[in-house]
Amino acid sequence: MPAAAAPTPLVVHLSFVVGGALRDAEGERLGRVDDLIVRLEGEEYPPVSGAVATVAGRQVFVPTDLIDEIADGRIALRAERLDLQHFQRRQGEVLLKKDVLDRQLINVDGARLVRANEIELARLDGWYRVVGVDVGLRGLLRRLLPRRFARTIAVSNFLDWASVEPFTGHVPTVRLRVPHPKLARLHPAQLADLVEAASHREGEEIIAAVATDPELEADVFEELEDQHQREFVEDRTDEEVAHLLVRMESDDAADLILQLPEERREDVVALLPSAQGRRLRTLLGYDPATAGGLMSPEFVCLYADATREEALDRVRRSRVHPDAASWVYAMSTHRRLRGGVQLAELLRAAEGERLSEFVRTVQAVSPNADLEEVARLMTDYDLVVVPVVSDDNVLLGVVTVDDVLELVLPEGWRRRFSILGGD
Amino acid sequence: MRRTVRAIHSRARRAARRRPRFGRHNRPAARLLLLLGFLGPGLIAANAGNDAGGIATYSSVGARYGYDLLWMMVVITVSLIVVQEMAARMGAVTGKGLSELIREQYGPRWSIISTIAVLFANVGICISEFVGIGAALGLAHVPPQVSVPIAAVVVWLLVVRGSYKIAERVFVAMTIPFFAYPIAAVLGHPKWSAVGHAIVVPHIHLSGPYLILFVATAGTTITPFMQLYLQSAVVERGIGPDDLPAERAEVITGSLFANIVAGFIIIATGATLYVHGHHTVNDAADAARALAPFAGRFAEVLFGIGLLGASLLAAAILPVTAAYVLAETFGLEKGISRRPREAPVFVGVITALIAIGAAVAVIPGIPVIKLLVLVQVVNGALLPVTLFFVWRLARNAELMGEYRNGRIFDLLAGVTVVATSGLSILLLVVTLTGNA
Repeated sequence: MPAAAAPTPLVVHLSFVVGGALRDAEGERLGRVDDLIVRLEGEEYPPVSGAVATVAGRQVFVPTDLIDEIADGRIALRAERLDLQHFQRRQGEVLLKKDVLDRQLINVDGARLVRANEIELARLDGWYRVVGVDVGLRGLLRRLLPRRFARTIAVSNFLDWASVEPFTGHVPTVRLRVPHPKLARLHPAQLADLVEAASHREGEEIIAAVATDPELEADVFEELEDQHQREFVEDRTDEEVAHLLVRMESDDAADLILQLPEERREDVVALLPSAQGRRLRTLLGYDPATAGGLMSPEFVCLYADATREEALDRVRRSRVHPDAASWVYAMSTHRRLRGGVQLAELLRAAEGERLSEFVRTVQAVSPNADLEEVARLMTDYDLVVVPVVSDDNVLLGVVTVDDVLELVLPEGWRRRFSILGGD
Repeated sequence: MRRTVRAIHSRARRAARRRPRFGRHNRPAARLLLLLGFLGPGLIAANAGNDAGGIATYSSVGARYGYDLLWMMVVITVSLIVVQEMAARMGAVTGKGLSELIREQYGPRWSIISTIAVLFANVGICISEFVGIGAALGLAHVPPQVSVPIAAVVVWLLVVRGSYKIAERVFVAMTIPFFAYPIAAVLGHPKWSAVGHAIVVPHIHLSGPYLILFVATAGTTITPFMQLYLQSAVVERGIGPDDLPAERAEVITGSLFANIVAGFIIIATGATLYVHGHHTVNDAADAARALAPFAGRFAEVLFGIGLLGASLLAAAILPVTAAYVLAETFGLEKGISRRPREAPVFVGVITALIAIGAAVAVIPGIPVIKLLVLVQVVNGALLPVTLFFVWRLARNAELMGEYRNGRIFDLLAGVTVVATSGLSILLLVVTLTGNA
C-alpha cells in the first residue's frame, strides 16, 4: 500500500451531469448541460474536451478551459461570461451521452458485449476523465429513480475504461476508422464470437479494426460461422476476398468460398496463387462430409529413398500445420504411398537412415470414405492423422483427428467451449 | 504458438460449421423446403396475431354483423403491412431489436416501461393461448389437464432446445392449419357476390357494439408483440440490407395471408351464424361448436384444428417475444439458438411464461374473458408507444441512412400510426368504462 495515497477522487455519474445546470463563476444559472465531449484516441482514460449546453434556447459549445468543475447536477465555469459558440461536431469527437451511453461496448477482458448503463467520470491527473462504465443494474436503477433516491445508490463495481472498447461507427465524425487497439488482446475465436453477437454494422467495425493485421483478420474469418462469413464477404470485391483467402488454411478457405455465390467462386479462385488455387479446386470437388472434404491437402511426403535428415529438413521448412506434419509419408518413384512414420519416430531413427528402411505401412482411406469410417480407423489404429489416397494409391491429403472429433462430438458438448476465457 | 492456441479455440466453433450436408437441393422435397425457407419472421409474426383471442374476435364480427366489417380487413391489412415493413426494415438495416433501438435513442425509461408492459401483456395472452389449446382439444374430448401440459412441454422443447432454423420451420409449418378456415368458409356456402360487395363497399353502422367490434378487430390484428417479434427475429435470422427486397416480400405475403385467413373466419361465421341468427360468440371454441349445425361437423373440426394451430403458434411466439424484449433492454445474451447455460435470462423468461401460461390455463373456471380484457387494456396502452417508436425510428436519417422512410411512405406510416393508435386508445377507454 502506498504510504501517502492521494485521496481517491470522487466518481461523477454522467447521467447526473447531463441535464444539470451550467453555472458561471458566481453560481448563476446560465443554461442546461446536454452532453460531454471526449476524444477517444490516445489516452487510456479519455479526458473531457468540452461540453454541449443549451443556453437561451441555443445549443452551444463549452470549451474545457472555461470549465472549473464538473459535478453532480452541474458544470461550473471559471469565467463569468461564455462566448456563445454554436456547437458543431469536430473530427474525432464523441459525445458521451449521445454516442456511448445506453449503447453496446466491447468488454475486452471478458470478450463479450455489454451495454453502458452509466458512464463514470473522475478527476485524474488534474482533469476530468472517463474512468469506466457501469454495466450493472444499479447504474440503470440510478437513472430511473428520482434524483433524490438515486443519489443514495452507491457507486457499483464498474468496468474500467482500460478494458472497454466502444463502437464508434454510428458517430458521424469518427466514421473514418478509429483504431481499436485493445481488440488485439483477444483471440481470433473470441473476436469471431463478438462479431457474431454484434449487429452487422458493429461487426464490420470489429473486422475493420482487426484488418490492420491481415493474418488476424484471416484467423477471425476462419472462426466465423457460415452465415456470418457470408454476411461479411458478400460486400467485398473478388480481390479483397482473394487477399483474405491467401492467409487462410486451405480447408477453411474452401468453406469460405462455398459461401460466395456460385458465379463468383471461380473468379476468386483464379486470383489466388496457382498452388493454393489448385488445392482449393481439389477440395471444393469433394462432399464436405467425406474424407475428401475433411482432408487438408497439405502434408509432408518424400520419396522413399530420402534420408532421415532430408525428411526432417522438409518438415522444418514446410508450412504444413503441425497437426498434419506429425506424420511424414514416403512414396514410391511412381508417387504411390509406401508408408508413413510419426515425427517422433523420425527423430529417433539413426542418422542417415533412409525412409524406406523404417516407414510402416499405414491405413489409408479413399476420398469417398464417410466420416464414420475415418473415425473408426482413427480409433482402431490409434491414429491422429489418416492419409487419404486415390484409387491408384496416390496420397491426396490427410485428415487430422481434430477435424473428425469436431464432427463426432455430441451436439451438447460443443457449445460449452464457445468462448474459452469468456466470463 | 498463436496458431496452436487458435486451434484449441477453433475446434468447438468449426464443428458447428462443418455439419455434413446431405446432398444438394435437387430433390422435390428439398425444393419445397427451400420455398418454405423463404417464409419466416414476417409470416410467423402476422399469423401469431390470429390467435385464440383473434379468432374469437373475428368470429364475433362475422356472427354479429355478417360481412359488414369485411371492408375494414382491407384497410387493416394495408396498415399491418406498413407497420410490419418498417419493423423488418429496421431489423435488417440496424441489426438490432426494437427495444434495443428505443433504449439507444430514447433512453432506458421508455424501453423499461415497454418491457414491463410486454411482459405483463404476454403472460396474459400466453394464458389465453393455453386455454385455447385446451379448448380446441376439448372439442375432441381431451381434458385440458392432459392436453395443456403436453402442449407446454412440446412448445418449450421446440423453442429452447431447437436451433433457430428448426424452430422457424416448425413455426411456419404451424400456419398450415390456418387453411382450415377458408375450407370452413366454403362449407358455409356464403353468397360470394355479397362477400365481394362487402369487401369493396364499407358498411358503417353508427352503433356502440359495431364500433367496439371495429376497434377490437383493429386491436387484435395489429398487436405490439408482432413488431417486437418481427424485428428481433429478422435480426436473429441474420437478414441484412441486401436481403431486404426478399424480406419485404415475405412480410407482405405473411401479412396478406394472415388477414385473408381472418377474412375467411368472418365469412365462415357470417355465412352461417349470422344468417341463422346466432349472434353472440363467447370464444373461439364456442364459434367452432356453433358452426356444426349450419356448416356440418366437418366445419367444427376444421375450426378446432385452426384454433389448435393458432394457439400453439402464439404460445411459442409470445414467450420468445417477451424474452427478446427483456434481453434487448438489459443488454443480455439472447437467441432461440442459445442454450440455457449461455442465455439464462432469455431461456428463463421463456420457461416462466410457458409455465405460468399452462399452469393457469388448467385451473378450472378461470375467468378467461376478464383476463383478456385486462390484457387488451395493457396492449391498448402499449400499441401507441410501440408504433410511435417504430415510426420515429424508421424515419430517422441518422439511424437508417438511405433506408429511412421515403416521403410518401412516411406520410402513409404517420397516418397509419396515428389512426391505429387512436383506435387503440379508443378501445382502451371503451374497455375501461365497461361498455363492452
